[in-house]
Amino acid sequence: MRLIIQYIRRHLGLFCTALLFLTIETMADLLQPTFMAHIVDDGVKNMDVKQILFYGAIMFAIALAGACGAVMRNIFASYTSQTIGKELRSDIFRKVQTLSLENIDRLQPASIITRITNDVTQVQEFINGCMRIMVKAPITGIGAIILVVVQTPKQIPVMVVIVFAALAMVVANMKLGYPLFGRMQRKLDRLNNVSREFLSSIRVVKAFHAEGQEQSKFETASLELADASTSAMRVMAVFSPMINLTVNFGIVVLLWLSRNQNSMEIGRLMASVNYMTQVLFAMGMISNILNSAVRAMASSERIREVLDEEAAQKMAENPCSPEWKGEIEFRNVSFTYAGAGKETLKEVSFCAKPGETIGIIGPTGSGKTTLVNLIPRFYDVEKGTVCVDGIDVTRVREEELRSAVTVVPQKALLFSGTILENLRWGREDAEDADLKRAAEIACADSFISKTEKGYDTLLGQGGVNLSGGQKQRLALARALARDPRILILDDCTSALDAETEAAVLSGLRQWLQNVTVLLISQRISTVRKADRILCLENGIVQGIGSHEELMAECSTYQAIYRSQLGGDNNG
Amino acid sequence: MAKFNLQPVVKPRDWKGTLGRLWTLTKGSRKGLGWILFLSALASGSAIGSPLVIGRAMNAVDRGDAVTSILIFLLCIYLCDWLVRFGQQFLMAAVGQKMIHQIRTALFGKMKKLPLAFFDQRQHGELMSRLTNDVDNISTTISNSLTQLLTYIFTIIGIFCIMLALSPLLTVVTLIGVGLIFLLTRLVTTHTRKLFSRQQQILGKLNGQIEETISGENVVKAFCRENQMIEQFERSNEELRKVATRALIWSGYLMPLTNVINNLSYVGVSIVSGILAVNGYISIGMISSFLLYVRQFSRPFVDIANIYNSFQTAVAGAERILDILDESPEPADAPDALPLISPAGEIELQNVVFGYRPDAPVLKGISLKIPAGTKMAIVGTTGAGKTTIINLLTRFYDINAGRILLDGHDLREYRMKDLRNSFGVVLQDSALFAASVRENIGYGKETADLEDIKAAARIAGADTFIERLPKGYDTILTQGGMELSQGERQLLTIARAVLNDAPILILDEATSSVDTVTEQRIREAVLKITKRRTSFIIAHRLSTIKDSDLIILLENGHIAEQGTHEELMRQNGKYAAMYRTQTGV
Repeated sequence: MRLIIQYIRRHLGLFCTALLFLTIETMADLLQPTFMAHIVDDGVKNMDVKQILFYGAIMFAIALAGACGAVMRNIFASYTSQTIGKELRSDIFRKVQTLSLENIDRLQPASIITRITNDVTQVQEFINGCMRIMVKAPITGIGAIILVVVQTPKQIPVMVVIVFAALAMVVANMKLGYPLFGRMQRKLDRLNNVSREFLSSIRVVKAFHAEGQEQSKFETASLELADASTSAMRVMAVFSPMINLTVNFGIVVLLWLSRNQNSMEIGRLMASVNYMTQVLFAMGMISNILNSAVRAMASSERIREVLDEEAAQKMAENPCSPEWKGEIEFRNVSFTYAGAGKETLKEVSFCAKPGETIGIIGPTGSGKTTLVNLIPRFYDVEKGTVCVDGIDVTRVREEELRSAVTVVPQKALLFSGTILENLRWGREDAEDADLKRAAEIACADSFISKTEKGYDTLLGQGGVNLSGGQKQRLALARALARDPRILILDDCTSALDAETEAAVLSGLRQWLQNVTVLLISQRISTVRKADRILCLENGIVQGIGSHEELMAECSTYQAIYRSQLGGDNNG
Repeated sequence: MAKFNLQPVVKPRDWKGTLGRLWTLTKGSRKGLGWILFLSALASGSAIGSPLVIGRAMNAVDRGDAVTSILIFLLCIYLCDWLVRFGQQFLMAAVGQKMIHQIRTALFGKMKKLPLAFFDQRQHGELMSRLTNDVDNISTTISNSLTQLLTYIFTIIGIFCIMLALSPLLTVVTLIGVGLIFLLTRLVTTHTRKLFSRQQQILGKLNGQIEETISGENVVKAFCRENQMIEQFERSNEELRKVATRALIWSGYLMPLTNVINNLSYVGVSIVSGILAVNGYISIGMISSFLLYVRQFSRPFVDIANIYNSFQTAVAGAERILDILDESPEPADAPDALPLISPAGEIELQNVVFGYRPDAPVLKGISLKIPAGTKMAIVGTTGAGKTTIINLLTRFYDINAGRILLDGHDLREYRMKDLRNSFGVVLQDSALFAASVRENIGYGKETADLEDIKAAARIAGADTFIERLPKGYDTILTQGGMELSQGERQLLTIARAVLNDAPILILDEATSSVDTVTEQRIREAVLKITKRRTSFIIAHRLSTIKDSDLIILLENGHIAEQGTHEELMRQNGKYAAMYRTQTGV
């Protein structure tokens, strides 16, 4: 709620203007029966057509004023709520860009996306609703009650009782309904899970002929959801007609109390009955308001979580901007992921000289990717230091560091746009020829030129229209276009067949003479031509040296080697 | 409060047909549905009757007559109204949900019978929303709008008749207001529909950008593209704000202006009825009745346009569900289909031709004879058709030409259930379910007891890590196995295949994404279970399949090379070249 208020405060002028016009609009609605009462009591009772026309003209003028109020309110409310929505989206998006990967992991990308899209929409609709109906309900409700009291003062106690009874029912409805709706939501999640599993395992379901098993799982989930929904709706079915009845009962009591009234005030009585129907209308609105307020509150809480997230990494103070040569040094580096119990890296120390190629090998989960992610400072070390050219990476500006260190991840991520635009990510001011050259080294040129539009081929979101191998080659070309001092290849040729992979690697070796390369792979054949190989297991460096050296002294390396050659020794 | 649904309306293709078929789906709920419709019609009674009674009460008060009996009558109307509404909503809660459940299970029952091609061609997210949200929306929208529509139609007709009987002149005044509202609604909706579809478009673009950026944040950061991404985002964001504001303003005119027109009718009725009353044409009570009628008469008109739109969208949505129900299922077994109990496992492919699309054949005439008990491997580049052969053996797809024989009979002659039970399958992405380890291993074989499961796990080499889990075999894999390592997941699926004890085994890239140490363990397990069984192994890494009895190399839909590892190495062709690049020899 605090967040919503904070954003409304930024546009307080507009918001209040909208509320002002809303008040005019609501008042116009409210005043109609009052003047109608005058038509009856002063006009009809006195047989005075002039009076009727006079009050009629006033009512007409009020209706027009109400129209103006409505139009202006609509413009102001729409503008304000959309502007706030835009600002919220923008603020979250900008905030996320300043966060480090550690924060993003913690918040989960999918969850951040729903916060920017759904949750903002939820809050935006609430704010718009505030300026449309939310204020209208209390004004109508309270106003109508006051006017009933003014028109027919004898009814005050009855009114109080009726209003409290109706309000009590609205509250009871919420109290009883909410847990049931919560249960319904959980059952819906369950049903969604069952269908998701069925769809993603369809081959297994068919192969094991388990269709019957899946059907009964689905039926149970569906039936549970149906039962939960039924009981939630039944609560509504009990209360909402009750609220109607209470207010209707009020009308009857009002008429009964007025039975001995002075007939001169018949118009006022009519007005009161009219007001009662407006109270009924307002009651209906109140439950809607509470519903959407609860939802908006939950959403704003989720948005605030992102906005309040503190960037896990501190900017470098007094950054230095060195001339990069490409030396990497790890000194006793330990690292633990937030929320993970055990250390992913333990006391890792090694040094890579400029221009050297170091292969990194180890089983899955041994910490290979974690190790290289520390170099461009995607994460900060827990203990020890990571230095590039002798300078602690935390003392350099991120842009500076990341222009020298480029990572090609295993999962090749491309962005919508043309192939050329994607390659240009590497360097904004690169010549087309340079980009083409990079593509050639990455063995991507061959398939790009085969496409109809070549480098101007438009890629869908995430490069959906390319195969895994093609994406990996483009991602590699993009990294090469950056012309980095340190290039990290994180198993980025896994989707290529053996021949293409060999071609890519030999191309790289020729072109990257002066570049320090860290080459992660699970296959010995890929890393064995590196200058040195670092063998990692459980976050501990098991050995570092040439293939022959490791074969001689590192047992982990030997195990990997044996498993890959199928146990024989024809290496 | 009516919510205005001005989003572009999808029109149904065939109103009558669709509604007719939906009606057949409601079997079992019809009695309840009939009651609900009956009560909806009754629900209009209070709206029609109470203003008239209030008017009479006003007259009585005005003349100083006794009002008690009139008020008791009014109270009765309100009580009936309460009962009717309660009954209607209470019934609706159960009947509506029952209908949803029925349609949903019918849909699922159909889906499970559909061939794999159906699932391969569609996005899972889309199918999922058919199963859950769509069914829900459709049934509630259709039943809600039907009941509302019925109430409204009766209300309009009833009020119109009474008003006409009371005073034709005042009726005309009221109708002018209704006409104005109608025109206004048309004007606004035609205008906003365009704006809304534009808004939807830009929103899609913006959401795409958000998704792309945030799920690719590590790349964005690696290339320091944060500022460019923000710039790009802000452009779309501002574009969205502009269009959305305009759409909202236009659609927002509808409610208040309708309200204003209502007020104007109210004013009109007040003045005219006042003058009529002065001249003695109508009583004071009638003024009161009319004023209440004016309000109740115009509201349904505003809502009907909306209800019609959402009804239309719902029927179009129902057509999408019916489309799935109309899909042709996997071919049923012939009445004289052969049973297949523990086949020997001799397989022969005779000139097999197959393509996922008729114009793009993947396999172009494959012939191959595999004696029972052969350990056979299929290698080839991505897209060569390795997995396709597996899809044909298990009849996930049926071949276009040629024959596949198992133990001398065409696959299509066997009962589907028996045929699939003859194959044990371990796939590349280990499909585990959010259930206990025990249930996951016993998947597809509900008769298995714990001992069988433990034995299977032992053979697969999965028992050691399972016993280390907090609850052993009863550990619930809450995230579909994501809490296990990839190798462990794969061992579980192998245990599943072991338990199934199928005479023919298929391992499709079962070790491609695990590290080499785990791969070793998996290979040991595989070695154990492939003994004396016909087995097919597809692998990227040639070291995995060296000791197979028969290796075939697929290329462009043909068998390019075949033989044992030694034979193929001696041939010194493609296979030998592939092997050398992989092992770096």
